[in-house]
Amino acid sequence: MSVVTKENKNIWYLPGVLTGMWITLKHLFKNLSNKKQMLTLNYPEEKYEYSSRFKGNHILTVKKDGAIRCTACMLCATNCPAECITIKASEHPDAHVEKYPINYEIDMLRCVFCGFCEEACPVDAIRLGPEWQTPGIKGTNFIYDINHLAYRPQLKGGVQSAVDDQDRLKAGI
Amino acid sequence: MASANVQETKYLTEFYHLPEFKGLDGYKKNGGYKELEKALKMQPQAIIDEVKASGLRGRGGAGFSTGMKWGFLPKNNEPRFLLCNADEGEPGTFKDRMMMEKAPHQLIEGMIISAFAINSKKSYIYVRGEYDDSINSLTTAIQEAYKAGYLGKNILGSGFDHDMDVYRGAGAYICGEETGMISSLEGLKGQPKLKPPFPAVQGYLKKPTIVNNVETLAVVKYVIRDGAAHYRKFGTEKSTGTKLFSLSGNVVKPGNYEVPLAYPMKDMIYGLGGGFKAGRQLKAVIPGGSSAPVLTAEEANRATLDYENLAQMGSMLGSGAIIVIDDSNCMVQCLANLTHFYHHESCGQCTPCREGTGWLDKIVHSILSGKGRPQDIELLIKVADNMKGKTICALSDAAALPVLSFVTKFRDEFEYFVREGKSKVKGTAFAPKGDANVGH
Amino acid sequence: MSDTKVKCTINGTELEVKPGTTIIQAMTENAQRIAHYCWHPGLSIAGVCRLCMVEIEGNPRVQIACNTLVTEGMKINNTSEKVKDAVKWGLDFHLINHPLDCPICDQAGECGLQDQYMEYGKYNPEMAESKQKKHKVVDLGPTVVLDSERCILCSRCVRFTDEVSKTNELGIFNRGDHAEIGTHDGKKLDNKYSLNTVDICPVGALTSKDFRFKQRVWYLKDSDTVCNGCSTGCNVKVYFNKEGLFRVKPKTNQNVNGHWMCDEGRDIYKFVNRDNRQLKGRKYGNGSWHEEGHAGVAAKDAAIFLKGAKADEIALVLTGQNTNEEYEALLNTFVNIYKTKNIYHWWPHEAQAEQFDGLLLRGDKNPNTAGLKQALTKHGISTKWADLESGLKSGKIKQLVVIAPENVFQYKDLAQKAALFGQAEHLILATSVKFPGIETASLKTATLIPLKSYIEKDGTFVNYKGDVQKFKKATTVVSEALTGVELAHLLAGQSLKIEVVPTADLLTAESNTRKDQVTLDHRKKNEFVFNRGRL
Repeated sequence: MSVVTKENKNIWYLPGVLTGMWITLKHLFKNLSNKKQMLTLNYPEEKYEYSSRFKGNHILTVKKDGAIRCTACMLCATNCPAECITIKASEHPDAHVEKYPINYEIDMLRCVFCGFCEEACPVDAIRLGPEWQTPGIKGTNFIYDINHLAYRPQLKGGVQSAVDDQDRLKAGI
Repeated sequence: MASANVQETKYLTEFYHLPEFKGLDGYKKNGGYKELEKALKMQPQAIIDEVKASGLRGRGGAGFSTGMKWGFLPKNNEPRFLLCNADEGEPGTFKDRMMMEKAPHQLIEGMIISAFAINSKKSYIYVRGEYDDSINSLTTAIQEAYKAGYLGKNILGSGFDHDMDVYRGAGAYICGEETGMISSLEGLKGQPKLKPPFPAVQGYLKKPTIVNNVETLAVVKYVIRDGAAHYRKFGTEKSTGTKLFSLSGNVVKPGNYEVPLAYPMKDMIYGLGGGFKAGRQLKAVIPGGSSAPVLTAEEANRATLDYENLAQMGSMLGSGAIIVIDDSNCMVQCLANLTHFYHHESCGQCTPCREGTGWLDKIVHSILSGKGRPQDIELLIKVADNMKGKTICALSDAAALPVLSFVTKFRDEFEYFVREGKSKVKGTAFAPKGDANVGH
Repeated sequence: MSDTKVKCTINGTELEVKPGTTIIQAMTENAQRIAHYCWHPGLSIAGVCRLCMVEIEGNPRVQIACNTLVTEGMKINNTSEKVKDAVKWGLDFHLINHPLDCPICDQAGECGLQDQYMEYGKYNPEMAESKQKKHKVVDLGPTVVLDSERCILCSRCVRFTDEVSKTNELGIFNRGDHAEIGTHDGKKLDNKYSLNTVDICPVGALTSKDFRFKQRVWYLKDSDTVCNGCSTGCNVKVYFNKEGLFRVKPKTNQNVNGHWMCDEGRDIYKFVNRDNRQLKGRKYGNGSWHEEGHAGVAAKDAAIFLKGAKADEIALVLTGQNTNEEYEALLNTFVNIYKTKNIYHWWPHEAQAEQFDGLLLRGDKNPNTAGLKQALTKHGISTKWADLESGLKSGKIKQLVVIAPENVFQYKDLAQKAALFGQAEHLILATSVKFPGIETASLKTATLIPLKSYIEKDGTFVNYKGDVQKFKKATTVVSEALTGVELAHLLAGQSLKIEVVPTADLLTAESNTRKDQVTLDHRKKNEFVFNRGRL
């Protein structure tokens, strides 16, 4: 932010400071006397309930058999404005799957949670999930790898994708 | 109903009732190989001129002037080939088969005369693989002809050499197309070749080649016998001569009938064909093999069997296979039969045909299985329209034309099927032949 | 050239073409756009995709441009509604059984179907029926994978194996919409030019096993260069990004390679990539390797040794893998500054140099043998390899400078040569690729200097028939390595004019700033200034 120099030098700061402190005090007493009206939360004891549609940390969805849905098409990585997605693709033994990621990393510190990856995905393989608490103590904690994205304990075995290979094949698509 | 003249004009088929006509002796007894002797004394150009003057048109389907086709050959001494197209694959056609089985020598004589006219030293008869009897009778007849000196070196002392072979096709419809046949003969996959160059310039083994139908080549003998003027007495100005028609479908007496061109269709169906079973009446006629557009009963009743009249009605004479459909048939099911055939027989070279025939088949089958959408009828027309005239050979047109004519002329039946999920004609149960999706 | 020309009008433009030109040739040569799949300038005409439809005045039907010759006064257009409609439907026929699996298809981004659909697409798919199922991921051979469902049966690959490689491995099997490309029973698509089928495949049906799934093509940049795999000197495009090179494809040059290149040449990108490269300067002394340093420092140190030696104690070994410019600079250093004529041509392919497979591959695996020979002749050098061997054995040659080949995979005698070079009192080995066997060779003292590969420098190659081909730098893989010219200057004791920008000034260095660049100074003006008024 830029610094704005005021022309008028003859000014008393003390009344301003005191006014500010008075406002703070006023709110302190108000909140103490009426906790329900209080706007802030006592995190981490109290937590805010976000909508279940909140777009937080990424989830890689899985197929019915539990394998990762992602086909490593790299459209998410292409679309990502923060360039935080790194994918390495490989040949899948099953000819109908053909291509799958052996490595899928998201650098959460670079991610801007814009959700473009979710929109770009042609097979519902990546979603932004409701998690929003992402603590970590060093940089590498924030680079989520493929296992974390798909199978972290919070997901309880993985989130199933709406699009399935077998269904697709049966439908003849 | 039928007019007074319901007689066949037995010109080509005069002696077909004699079993001995099949063998060399019986054939010679009834005037065989006399025209060959006559022709070998003529100038080759004179024969070509005679054929041109007779107005003979190809009997295989396209109806192109035979004399003109021979005239396209380059005027040099390059080796050239004569191929006889006996790959009779058009659904509804069975005239060539009868000719080859009953009178193989008639074809062989016609071919030697034609080969002499175009100065070809080698000819092949490309016979459809399923025609075992035809192949047997042709090979026996060729052997007889070799023994009698009608084939081989220095035929009848004229100094003209000619060799003839029978080639057995493998039963692909597309090998009935002349360039497809040439590919197959060359040992390649039976796929039509790009034109130009036309076979008359660059055909079998890249040498000038003439491909003619069995009936066309057999007729040459009679043109030489009676002269062009006599031949022109049959038929009309532009469609001269007699023609064998293969009558099939819901008539009482199906079979091969030889009549002069411009013979009324009505007489053919009700006279020679013997009309319908009691209580049935005419619904539609496919006049020239499965690839010809269908005619409604009203159109069929005023049609005459010649190239011009049928072309004027938007259909064609084709190979002369008249398929008669009576009112007990559902047109959707009839069309499904045809689309299935073309889907199966498309060679897969050009995209519009390869994908289009399958698409048409799938749409018709989905209508049949009751899953038709209202827009499918319009889609059938659009797809068929865009397959027309976009490919190397005419198979794409052959698949598209019946679809266009069936859907436009019997649209109510298609609409009914889509709306109700069942046929408008009561009592028809159709078992689709295989899944349109699965390879055959 | 004959002076008879055929005049025609294509889309309103009057053109003159040679007699016997097809419409599609006339159009592509004159930069007119026309949709096509099966036509390829290097192959025969198949006429099966039916996309190159044009309307010819006087002809009611649209015609294919690939099999129609231009005749005098012909009026052709491919922009009318009739043609557009035909192309639109033609494309739709291609697509109704296409699996549309672009996300996992390697061709996505450079696919003929995608390109054409953007321009001629119907955009309202009407196909409601289920698609034809065919074989996926078919192993055609050691280099190529086939996906039959994506195939549009344009038959380019089949015609390539019939007409160009003349190996006839591929064919179209079955009929109609279940037709598939394939090889005959037990046969494999295995020839020296097999990967060209991948290049000419307009869709993703044929994919290269080597490149498969490594990168999406839109992450790659391309640059034109000359292949250094053999003395043919095919014109190629290299595809790279910041991670290195990923593939090589041929670039059309009718004088040299036509439309094709060999599979061997496609592997050359591998030695250019970082994994195989010599990254730092190194020194060998007292029986062990030590001290990894900057390439320039290593070269300057080596120059001190050379300056201390007599003229006939110095020898230089060159291969046909460097550029003309480098030969000139190096020979100038050694002939004019160090006054030595002990310059030797290391050429293990000499015996097989005249071998030729009839299409592109030549026995001489060096791109610039001709250039080296010219340079040696110019400086009046004619030496025998045996002189080097005896000189090293007798200890006459003390300072040996070796400019090692880049394509070391084509030099089968490396270990033997390493032992030979190790006899020198001091070996100065300049190499771009990690020199195999140098770690284990018995040496006296040695200096290892990393060099740049041919992808990383401008230069000139002279091919087997004397064509001089210039090429430009494509990218930098090892930034610290030296080019041969830089090495020549440093070995001569000269300093390089490298413009060093002080690190502190990097952000504001003038060269990095555009005139209209938004800097922090600009930002101030746009910033909102909150007026925090008094209470």
